[in-house]
Amino acid sequence: MIGLLAVACSQLVGALGSLDGKPRYIHHGWFQISVANLVVIVLMIVVFVLALFLRFPGERDKR
Amino acid sequence: MSTHAEPVGWTGRVRRAVWEAYPPERLLPDDQPAYVSSWVYVFGVLTLASLISVVSSGIVLVIFGPAWWHVSSVGHFVNSLHLWSAEMFFFFMAVHLWGKFFMAAWRGRRALTWMVGAICFLASIATAFTGYLSQQNFDSQWIGTQAKDGLNASGVGAYFNVLNVGQMLVWHVILLPLALILLVSAHILLVRRRGVCPPLPAAEPREPAAEDPDYPRSPDPAAEWSGAKRRYDLIKELVSALGVVVLVTVVLSALFSSPDPKAVTAARWANANPADFLTTAVSELDRTSGTATYGPPYTHTPGAGQTIVDSLSLQRLVGVHIPIDTAQAFVLTPLSIGSKNNPPLAKALASYSSASPAQRRAWTSAYTKALDGVTFRDGAPVITPGNYGPVALMMRDLLAQAQSGGLDGALVATSHFYQTDYTKPLLFFSDGAYLENLAAQDNLLGDQWGMMNETGNYPGQAWLWLYTFWYQVPPLKTSDNADAQIWAIMALLSLGLVLVPFLPGVRSLPRHLRVYRVIWRDYYRRAEATRESPHFVVRQ
Repeated sequence: MIGLLAVACSQLVGALGSLDGKPRYIHHGWFQISVANLVVIVLMIVVFVLALFLRFPGERDKR
Repeated sequence: MSTHAEPVGWTGRVRRAVWEAYPPERLLPDDQPAYVSSWVYVFGVLTLASLISVVSSGIVLVIFGPAWWHVSSVGHFVNSLHLWSAEMFFFFMAVHLWGKFFMAAWRGRRALTWMVGAICFLASIATAFTGYLSQQNFDSQWIGTQAKDGLNASGVGAYFNVLNVGQMLVWHVILLPLALILLVSAHILLVRRRGVCPPLPAAEPREPAAEDPDYPRSPDPAAEWSGAKRRYDLIKELVSALGVVVLVTVVLSALFSSPDPKAVTAARWANANPADFLTTAVSELDRTSGTATYGPPYTHTPGAGQTIVDSLSLQRLVGVHIPIDTAQAFVLTPLSIGSKNNPPLAKALASYSSASPAQRRAWTSAYTKALDGVTFRDGAPVITPGNYGPVALMMRDLLAQAQSGGLDGALVATSHFYQTDYTKPLLFFSDGAYLENLAAQDNLLGDQWGMMNETGNYPGQAWLWLYTFWYQVPPLKTSDNADAQIWAIMALLSLGLVLVPFLPGVRSLPRHLRVYRVIWRDYYRRAEATRESPHFVVRQ
C-alpha cells in the first residue's frame, strides 16, 4: 500500500520534474559541466558556508 | 561484573582491552565539550544516516533481484531511493571531509581516524562504481567499456573485469559494502576512542614553551577536555539525521525518479545502424578491430598495452587473462550455430576456414571497401559485385542473425547454463560507432568530462571531477598511455589524501586558511572574554 502510494506520488510529481529530457550543459572552452552536477557542487559549498556561519542551537552548558 | 579482576586467557585480555578502550560513557556519551557547537560537526552523522539509507534501499533491491527495478514501478522507486541516498551520502561525506580538513582534525593521535575516513571515501567510490556497473542498462554498458581501459592499464582489469556483470554485482552487494561498513565502524570507534578534536590554538604557539609555568597555554590536542560541556544525545542525533535524510531522499525520488536508459543489444545496433554493424563485424573477422589488437588482458598483440613511464607496463606485466579471438568469438562461432540448418552458410564457413590467411585478408579487405557504398533492401545488405569469396554471405547471415536477436544469445552462450559475463558482447559493441554515438549525445565521452556525467539531466559522479579533469590536460589529453598515467597520478593523489596528517605543508594549510576561527568562534570568544585557561587533562 505504502509502495503503491509512493509510486503514485512519484508518477504524479515526476511528470513535473523529469530529468530525462535533453541534457543541459555549460560549455566554456575546454571546460564542460552538466547543470545538474553544477547545482550539486554549488549546493555543497552553500551548505558548508551556511554550516560555518549559522548559529548552532542549544547553548545549555553544564559543568 | 568486575572489570578489575586479573584477566584469564586471551578472551579475558581482549575483554579487558575493549572495556578499557571503550567504557560505556565513551561509547555512548551524554555530553561533549562545549566547543562542539557548530553545524560543521553534524555532517559526519548525516553521512552515517545516508549510508543507512543506501544500505536499506540496497537490501530491498537485493531481495527482489537485479532485474526487478527494470520491470516494476515499485522497484524503480526503490532504485530511485537507492540512487538519491547514494548522492546524499557523497554530498555529506565530501562536506564532512572539508570540515575535518579545515579543523586539522588529525591532531592529537587522530591521524588514524583521518586515514580510515579517507579510505572510507575511496571505498565508497569503488562501491558506487560497481553499482553503476551493475545497473544492466546503457549506463552500465558505457561505463564498463570506458572504465575497462583504465583498469586494464593498471593491471587490475585482468582480475577485476568490469564487463562481467555477475562479478561486479557480487562486489557491489557483498564485498564492498561489507568492507565499507567495517571501515565506517572502525572510523566511528576511533572517533569515540580519541574524542572530538579540540580547537586549534587561538594564536600561534610560542616555541619552546616547556619551561613556561602556564604551559600548555593552548589546547593540547591529545589531552582530554575537562572544561565546560554541553548535553549531547548521540542516538537522538542519529535518529534526527536519519529522518532528515529519508525525507529528502523520498522527496527527490518522487520528484525526479532515476535514469534507466535502454541497454544496447546486437539486435538494436544491427537494426538501427546495419552499416556500422557490418563494418565492425568484418574488422572482428579479419582481426583488425580495437579488441583484436588491444593486447592484455584480451590478446597477445606484440607491443600493445599502455605504459606508465618508459617501458613500465603493468598491463603487459599481468598478461593475457581473458583471451578473446574476435573472429571466433564474434563471427565464426555464432554463425556456426545457424549453419546447422543452413547448408549455404555451412559451405561458406568451410570455404573460409580452408582458405589461406592471405586469401581471407583479400576477401575481407575488398568487402570492407565495398561497405562504403552499401545500401539495404529489406534489412539485407546490397553491395557492388566483387571478389568477396564467402565473406559476403557470412556477413549477410550474421547481420540477419543479429537483427533477429539470435546473436545476443550466441555472444554470451557458454557451456554453463547461467550467463552473467558480458565481456564478449560489450567488447564487440565498443568496437563499433553506434554505442559511442549514443554516449556522445549524452555527453558521456572522455573529452566531454563524461566520467562525471549521467544520462539526461541527472546529477552524475561529481566526486570523479579530478579523475576526468586529467583527461582534458595536455599532454595527457593526447597521450596513448593516458589511462595508465592518469591511474598512476590518481593512485598517488589518493595516497596523498590518506596521508594528509603526515604531509608537511599540506597538514599546515588549515592553520593558514583560518577557517577554524569561524568554526570555533564561540570558543575563542569565550576564552578571550574570560581569559580562562582551557580545561584539558592528559588522558592516561
